[in-house]
Amino acid sequence: MSLRISFKFVIFIGEFLFSPPMKAQQVIFLILLFQFGPFFAQFGPENGLKQSAPSYILIQNATIMVKPGLTLENSDILIKEGKIITVGKNIKQDGAIVKDYTGKVLVPSFIDLYSGVGLEPMSVKNSSWRPQLESNKEGAYYWNEAVHPELNAATDFKLKANSTDHLQQAGFGFVLTHHMDGIVRGSAAFVSLGQNEAHKLLIAPKAAQVFSFSKGVSRQTYPSSQMGSIALLRQALYDLDYYTKNKANLPYSVSLNEWSSQQNLPTLFKTDDKWEILRANKIAEEFNTKFLFIGSGNEYAIANELKTKGINVVLPLTFPEAYDVNDPYLAREIPLSDLKHWESAPANAMLLRKAGVDIALTSYGLKTADQFWSALRKAISRGLTAEDAMASLTTIPSTWIGLADQVGTLESGKCASFSVYTADPFSNEAQLLESWNLGVAQHWKSAVAINILGTYSVQLPEATYELKVTGTNDKPQAKVSLISAKDTLSTKAVLQLREQDISLQFTSLVNQPQLIQLHAKAIKNGLILEGDGTDANGKWFHWSAIQQQTSAALAPKAIKSDTTTYGEVWYPNMAFGSSSKPNEQTVLFRDATVWTNEKEGIVKGADVLVVGGKIKQVSRKSISPSGARVINATGLHLTSGIIDEHSHIAISKGVNEGGQAISAEVSIADVVNPDDIDIYRQLAGGVTAAQLLHGSANPIGGQSALIKLKWGVSPEEMLIPNAPKFIKCALGENVKQANWGDFNTIRFPQTRMGVEQVFYDGFYRAKAYQKEWNAYRNGQIKTVPRVDLELEVLSEILRSERFITCHSYVQSEINMLMHVADSMGFRINTFTHILEGYKVADKMRLHGVAGSTFSDWWAYKFEVNDAIPYNAALMTEQGVVVCINSDDAEMGRRLNQEAAKTIKYGGLSEEQAWKLVTLNPAKALHLDDQMGSIKIGKAADLVLWTANPLSIEARASLTMIDGVIYFEEAQQAQLQQKIELERTRILSLMLTAKENGAATKTPQKKVKKHYHCDTLGEEATENENTH
Amino acid sequence: MKTTLFLFLILCGSNYHAQRILLLHGTAHIGNGNVVESAAIGIVKDRIIFVKNSLTQTYKEQDWDTIINCNGQHFYPGLVSANNTLGLTEIDAVRATRDFDDVGDWNPHVRSLTAFNVESKVVETVRTNGVLLVQATPRGGWISGSSSIMKLSGWNWEDATVVAVDGIHLNWPSHKESYLKDKQQIYSFFEIAKSAAFDRREKLSDLRIEAMKACFTGTKRVYIHAQTIQQIIDIIDFASEMKLAYPVIVGGYDAYLVGAKLRDAHIPVMLSRVHSLPERDDEPTDLPYRLPSLLKAQGIQFCIQNEGDMQAMNTRNLPFQAGTTMAYGLSEEEALQAIALSVCQIMGIEKDYGTLEAGKKATMFVSKGPALEMKTNDLTTILVDGKFVSTRNFQEELYLKFRKKYQSDAGLK
Repeated sequence: MSLRISFKFVIFIGEFLFSPPMKAQQVIFLILLFQFGPFFAQFGPENGLKQSAPSYILIQNATIMVKPGLTLENSDILIKEGKIITVGKNIKQDGAIVKDYTGKVLVPSFIDLYSGVGLEPMSVKNSSWRPQLESNKEGAYYWNEAVHPELNAATDFKLKANSTDHLQQAGFGFVLTHHMDGIVRGSAAFVSLGQNEAHKLLIAPKAAQVFSFSKGVSRQTYPSSQMGSIALLRQALYDLDYYTKNKANLPYSVSLNEWSSQQNLPTLFKTDDKWEILRANKIAEEFNTKFLFIGSGNEYAIANELKTKGINVVLPLTFPEAYDVNDPYLAREIPLSDLKHWESAPANAMLLRKAGVDIALTSYGLKTADQFWSALRKAISRGLTAEDAMASLTTIPSTWIGLADQVGTLESGKCASFSVYTADPFSNEAQLLESWNLGVAQHWKSAVAINILGTYSVQLPEATYELKVTGTNDKPQAKVSLISAKDTLSTKAVLQLREQDISLQFTSLVNQPQLIQLHAKAIKNGLILEGDGTDANGKWFHWSAIQQQTSAALAPKAIKSDTTTYGEVWYPNMAFGSSSKPNEQTVLFRDATVWTNEKEGIVKGADVLVVGGKIKQVSRKSISPSGARVINATGLHLTSGIIDEHSHIAISKGVNEGGQAISAEVSIADVVNPDDIDIYRQLAGGVTAAQLLHGSANPIGGQSALIKLKWGVSPEEMLIPNAPKFIKCALGENVKQANWGDFNTIRFPQTRMGVEQVFYDGFYRAKAYQKEWNAYRNGQIKTVPRVDLELEVLSEILRSERFITCHSYVQSEINMLMHVADSMGFRINTFTHILEGYKVADKMRLHGVAGSTFSDWWAYKFEVNDAIPYNAALMTEQGVVVCINSDDAEMGRRLNQEAAKTIKYGGLSEEQAWKLVTLNPAKALHLDDQMGSIKIGKAADLVLWTANPLSIEARASLTMIDGVIYFEEAQQAQLQQKIELERTRILSLMLTAKENGAATKTPQKKVKKHYHCDTLGEEATENENTH
Repeated sequence: MKTTLFLFLILCGSNYHAQRILLLHGTAHIGNGNVVESAAIGIVKDRIIFVKNSLTQTYKEQDWDTIINCNGQHFYPGLVSANNTLGLTEIDAVRATRDFDDVGDWNPHVRSLTAFNVESKVVETVRTNGVLLVQATPRGGWISGSSSIMKLSGWNWEDATVVAVDGIHLNWPSHKESYLKDKQQIYSFFEIAKSAAFDRREKLSDLRIEAMKACFTGTKRVYIHAQTIQQIIDIIDFASEMKLAYPVIVGGYDAYLVGAKLRDAHIPVMLSRVHSLPERDDEPTDLPYRLPSLLKAQGIQFCIQNEGDMQAMNTRNLPFQAGTTMAYGLSEEEALQAIALSVCQIMGIEKDYGTLEAGKKATMFVSKGPALEMKTNDLTTILVDGKFVSTRNFQEELYLKFRKKYQSDAGLK
């Protein structure tokens, strides 16, 4: 066996060596020791002589930060075979290598739970541009490439020399590494860093499993949205359960088999936004498990939710760069949300701790040790306590990963992995000297801190010079002077300090321009310099110098807590957010023209009292206020809030799951995004509730979210409680991919003929599925059938427990779908778009389907050739429940105007027209028992208008949801000023940051992107809305 | 006797050309801010010969071929849609019907009138809401092409043309990393064109440069499409350095921030669609609605245009876009001006179009109620250059057809 020992990086402790690394191919027979065994040898032949067993190492007189809250001064630590034997005072051990660490501080090695160290990035076989519907991974694997639980970090783990230096220099000694790709990422290995045998580095080969919502390098069409990722993960977890229980009777699956062995491991979940934590946590609750989250940096905005739900988060320290805001034209392109996040991000850890959330920290995203420490110090300066900082890098991650008995503290029995600093690094800008990994030291900086700053008297053969060293020991600046009674001559000298070696060059002041070159060892911490030099003739001489004056002792700089006043977190943390969550109030609208939408019609001079979020009283007579806020509504019009039956605002990462023809398993309710400015803009247009629909990329799309447009609350609080269940279906050009280019001709269906068959096929399969489950429930079959999320939802439709809103254009397809429903025994609830509804309004009435249409849009594609603006009126005349919807963020805030067009086109009455955007959508959404009209007991979702709401001159003056005022026109000037003040405050902080040398980036104009019916993938677009 | 019934019969025959028409007893929205209650409008051939108070005006029935009593109705000048692909596109998603964006970055020579489809079904539905002229405008590239001002009625494009090429459309680069380089490209192109324009030697340059010459020496407008403050101040410099005869900013979202500069430079603005969302999250929710009044207050000449999603189809909502500004600072007559006279002034056709004044072309309509309001925009008469145009479109026909079907179905039961 060849001995390949790297002298370059390893400090050898005494004469004894740990076993040198073996060449992999020479390892014939291998047993991994997960725990450190009592003996060190491996099973395998030795080439050459037997290695000696290593001895004890005794470090004395160190400051040992044993664990957060416990620091032992002037103490010893005894190490053997990579483990700590004892920690304490005056430890004695015969035959130990003894090291004096006076003045040095030992800190347990940090643990990074989110890493891909030692693993190659994933790649896929190059496939064509045409859609890839099936998995390209050959073998008995799961059907979707983004779910690969079979990946095993331990088997692929390979540390390249020096590849983890930056991590060790940052203080890390352990990482949990895994293949950072896909939704189900396989098992993660807990490994030690540093120079050591591969076998020893693998401390726990399967320490965790890792999930995410990001599909990674897979080019398979499914999933194409976050809701698709959510559904895929849920389905895969159900499949795992099914496979685990029925293994014996099922075909072998490499993926599921491997996965079933990981079920008891801690599960890490990587997120890219705060809301993703809540989304993933719902899955954890569904499967009665707990995830450990890898955060993204904006968790402070939901600190209380995290605390309430008992969620733990590993936080990144990647803080956004400041913008270069010198140019005010460019500075105005930065949204306040970005400015606020820039300010708050470094306080993330502190704010979460303040809220009582347990956190760990990861170095993920930071490339160098300097970046890590500067970020960590920033977090500490923003109020993260030194103790919390230490715990979040040591004891907390070790506990979360179930390895607290081995790592995280410097206590007996644990791994001898620690970093050696010049001072407590959590309180001072200390320097790292060494990293010890499993008892092996890696040396970074001189162990002896030499201070050469000061003044020396340098005795050379030619003269006695004065040497003045200033600057820092890392970058010293030197000047030599020749002092005589008459005058003082000086010149600059080049001085370098490397460990204890000093080199010094300068031009002789006696024999100019001769060069003097000196070398010396620094003795007694720089008190004396002693060595040799050469003069201009190349002649060697001996010299020495004595320190006359030392500069003040170089105490490490303490990390200062920043005392600047910081801005508060707003709800939402952006323009128009409030400092606190809004409250419901008792409000009396006095003397309004009230559009009741009830048999009373439009009532002039009425009072409406709102108590407890509900309409308490509606009266022509004056109501006494009794503690209510009285709003004088004389000359104003009060209506129930606008309900948008078809909206795509407030959605995260994808409105379509177009990867398959049927995606009933996905739900928009999983991806509601409360941080969308369009919510506020629509409040300003009098909208109080909306159905957020899946797009129209496939025949059976996804489930809807029925929301109220509450601003500054969580996604859960936006969802209407116990709302009826809805799903989007679609027909026509979008589902047959007619306008998506010539590449998209693969997915079935490509014609209206095929669309019909997709529906029949789905519902037939759902019937069979129900039958199987019924048989199981009746005891006819014993094994629990597989849970199929798609068929669960289709079964709900068959049972009329879920309602269809179907995107539709031409009469042929409209009639087709009604036939499908009739033959399956259910009813289509709503046709949306329904632009040829006027041609089949009588059939629609018979079927009992509502029509939700645009007021006047057409000409955007071939199938709208016969769309007419009289559609709504004609369907209304035929007795269909008709709504006017937006399907558009812009038009969504002018639905009152759109409703008014039905008076022009088709002559509806004002009351009829107004119901198209209020009561009728409430009916179509089965919510008319709680909203849609001004009636005692209904929700106080009210809008006060400056004029007849159907008039071109009407503005929403106040919008209220459940008794909470979310928009008030009179407040806008004040709000705008608040926004401007907050902007200027943070912009000036950014300017200061730039002046202080912070890196900056140039602002770019951000164009607000939107989701439309046909938007594919996770990104919203700037494209035209083609519905 | 000349009665309204008689008139109805005439109107059913399309494009009946009346020689002498008298419209009576309507509220005339002149279009320059004035309103004449109970007005009489006299039209001879294609021109208006007077607009007077009908109560003080005496007239002889025999002097007129057609007299229409518009009691209680409203007279408006034909509305004008600037900067629009109307007539150049039919169905947005069908490539075969899109004729507004040709290959190439520098297309000043490409002009829209020959592609203009007078028989477009979309045009029909726009006309019936009062929009009677369009500036048919190409898209794409740095210079998209030359726009043409077209009437929304005619037998063929020659017939419909008001101005064959009224201006070129330049898309000013947006402020990103390549901004300076992009701007330089535009300067270079214009410098060449400018030197050619003033070159007195008889020399034919290429088609592109020929198409540019009138921008320096004639009345050809340079419509510069831009939104941000940086673009706008750069354009002010550009226009003065190039000595452009008639520069116009199209879009101009940020124009309200540099109002004084624009006013001093006499550069008018064809303002972005009123029905749009604010450009930036932090801006007031109603800023796009208020931009017209903000420009008005600073004395900048402006009009409202409709570029954006589904712009051709959506042109029929131009009156309501103007109407919306009435809730945000403009008066009814100012709102009307923003989609009629101001557009004509900016494009240079105000001598013939834009108001109901003697001497102007009789391109106008009569509505039962205020035309900028959805509820009451209901046209009873449309005249384009003195010719009657049907107030029906195919959509109304479809409506009536199916309405009749349901009525007869009900009758059968």
